[in-house]
Amino acid sequence: MNEPATQTGALGFFNRQGADPIARMLGLFLPLATILLMVLFATQSDAFLTLANLRGITLQSAATIVLAVPTALLLMSAGIDLSIGSTVAVAGVMAGIFWQQDLIWAGLAAGLAAGLVIGLVNGSLVSLAGLNPIVVTLGTLAIGRGIAQVFADNPIFDFPEPVVAFGAGSTLEIPNLVWVAIVVVVLGMIVLNRLPYGKHLIAVGVNERAAYLAGLRVKMIKLSLYVATGLGAAIAGIMLAARFNSAPGGTLGVGTELFVLTAVLLGGVPFTGGQGAIWRVVIGVLLLGILRNGMVLLNFSSESAQIVLGSVLIIAAALELVRQRLYRKQ
Amino acid sequence: MNQPASVVISDLTKSYGGNTVLDHASVTFSPGRVHALLGPNGAGKSTLLGCLSGAVQPDSGTITCSGRAYRGFTPSEAFGAGISTIYQHFQAIDDLTVADNIYLGAELRRGGVMINSRAQLAGASALFERLGVDIDPRATVGSLSVGQRQLVEIAKALRHEPATLILDEPTSALSQTESVLLLELVTRLAHDLDIAVIYVTHLLHEVLTVADEVTVLRDGKIVWTRPGGDLDMQTLVTTISPDVDDSELISQSRDASNAAVLELDEFSSGFTGPLTVTIKEGDIVGVFGLLGSGRSDLLETISGVHPRRAGHALLHGRPYNPASVRSAINAGVALIPSDRSTMSIFGPMTALENVLLPRWPQTTRFLLRSKDNESKAFERIALSVQLKPPFPWQSAERFSGGNAQKLVVGRWLNDLAPVSVLVLDEPTQGIDVGSRRELYRLLRSFVKDEPGRAVIFASSDPEEIERLANRVLVLSDGVLIGEVEPGLGEDALLGLVHSREGASIKRTIGEEQYE
Repeated sequence: MNEPATQTGALGFFNRQGADPIARMLGLFLPLATILLMVLFATQSDAFLTLANLRGITLQSAATIVLAVPTALLLMSAGIDLSIGSTVAVAGVMAGIFWQQDLIWAGLAAGLAAGLVIGLVNGSLVSLAGLNPIVVTLGTLAIGRGIAQVFADNPIFDFPEPVVAFGAGSTLEIPNLVWVAIVVVVLGMIVLNRLPYGKHLIAVGVNERAAYLAGLRVKMIKLSLYVATGLGAAIAGIMLAARFNSAPGGTLGVGTELFVLTAVLLGGVPFTGGQGAIWRVVIGVLLLGILRNGMVLLNFSSESAQIVLGSVLIIAAALELVRQRLYRKQ
Repeated sequence: MNQPASVVISDLTKSYGGNTVLDHASVTFSPGRVHALLGPNGAGKSTLLGCLSGAVQPDSGTITCSGRAYRGFTPSEAFGAGISTIYQHFQAIDDLTVADNIYLGAELRRGGVMINSRAQLAGASALFERLGVDIDPRATVGSLSVGQRQLVEIAKALRHEPATLILDEPTSALSQTESVLLLELVTRLAHDLDIAVIYVTHLLHEVLTVADEVTVLRDGKIVWTRPGGDLDMQTLVTTISPDVDDSELISQSRDASNAAVLELDEFSSGFTGPLTVTIKEGDIVGVFGLLGSGRSDLLETISGVHPRRAGHALLHGRPYNPASVRSAINAGVALIPSDRSTMSIFGPMTALENVLLPRWPQTTRFLLRSKDNESKAFERIALSVQLKPPFPWQSAERFSGGNAQKLVVGRWLNDLAPVSVLVLDEPTQGIDVGSRRELYRLLRSFVKDEPGRAVIFASSDPEEIERLANRVLVLSDGVLIGEVEPGLGEDALLGLVHSREGASIKRTIGEEQYE
């Protein structure tokens, strides 16, 4: 334990060996940017630094974090899942249909089952059949949205009291949905840092062929990660449906993939895989949440907010490239 | 630019992680002459060539070319200085025609836009005429023989009117006839076109045929440079073979009573076989074959990478038919592939991660990782393979080639899980002499320390076969030419895969015919 932790360790970057000052600064960019952004919004809007608003940001970010953790793991293995936004909708709609009949647990099971099935479809096509993940998950993105709209033909809303209470309520002053996010983050950290599986998925991201030749179960690892993003999306969909007390199949989770991928990339997981840390991904999500909240407070139109979000995605990718070049150099 | 000038290398030094792979090397390559570059694997040949092509930056020393001194080339500077390299692995694209390949990246255009195919065809024909060879520029490269593809590479290089042409083991995949033609061509390139040809080879008879000048490298140092005419086979053999520690060379006497470890019966991989061999405990079997002989294919099939095509295999007397690399490993057969950077090493991951990766579950406590067990396991492994430096946290890409290979060897030779057959493909490619000795020692003690173990390795380096193997299988064109006793001599081995006798033996044993 006296030796420095590996790059993916919880405090990986504080004790990384021989990182040069510029690379270290880029590593600190994320927390610093978050603080700067908060200061900026606080000076511009009195409403920003209120307890209610900060609570609102974390509550809004809770479902995103639940999605971002498995997505980050998948990206570390150099995979990608674009279908998560539609899976959110399918799971929310499936849960909602049962909830309307007062079947609380059945709704929960149906939502999770939807995520499991979509994850299995994505994972089998990518890892067993060897199809390109972008193509496959772009396909299931469209299919999922279609299915959600078909089932949500009649508006799905007005859920049983316990569901609504859970979605809106708090335990120990912390919103229930934030508790769910905390559990998922802890699980993600255990998977990545405390199980051999965490190292195996990084190895797949670094070099899939070498991982196979080293005897790792590459296909199972990839399949399981798509199942994880499917289940993560399902949980997020259930959370959102409970919070909104409705499951609009046409709009629930639309654009989530863009938001989540931006947050994960901002959190230092490159699209090429092979590295990353859960805590940075969480900060990435919060940073985007703060940005979105601040833009609302400062009366940005939703169109210009969209432009800012897209720009942040590209800037995050550029920063990642610079960081990698600096590491290569020294 | 048209004035050909010598390339003068002076005091070139390069080291990786404390290992000096090129040590104050000085040599001059003059136009109009064929310079043969000789030396065992790890002598520094590839580093020297890398410096010339711009792939490697020397630590100190200069390269002088056309009166300009460089501290080291970038690839475009090397190109600007008129240095072209033809690699062992061809760069041509199979689906394009010969002419399109030759002009790839510098297409002739009509009006600056459209590719002028007719001009490219004419240009390619003219180049082949200059080379005195007959290849249809309209043919796709994929339809050509290995020898013809080599000629396409040379024609492509010639289009840039190079002052210096580097050929890295150009005959390693050629048939006997093609080799003879290539050697004639090499002589003409130097003598008629006034090009400085740098010719890297293991084959001493080629050196005696083509070289105007011979430079011998060993341990990163240039041993000497002499005119080719002054040399005979005996001189060459004695200078390139380094002092061999005799105690290392004593192979286990092959005891007929030793138990069989791996029995192959009419075993065929995708490209090789059928072959029938019994590998016994304590054996270190060397599979000698040139590029394209099927040696990698054979080893990968044994290790479960590819399914076998036909035949049977027994491991410790039980049927052995691995469905995947993982099932081979679980049965105790582990592969160390040839190309570390793409097939075995995880560059950005740490030494500890690289070593423990497949055996990680064996270090856990209640399914969770135990940092304590991990670092203890790593320490034991680092000590046994003599990893330098023994830092668990250093990323694998920062280790020298030899120590990176020790990480891969340590992955399988440890007390976390048993391995009984270690399969290695080109185990010491790009590895310095010191690490090479340590790897040999590790493999020898692996088979000696416990019963029921064996090593199979493939190499294109006859010296490595001679030094490490106690049994030698000679493979050519996917066919086992035969098993020979070690100590036959490097040139005899090379003669075997190249000779007419070899070809005729192949006709009698093999299915595949020599073209």
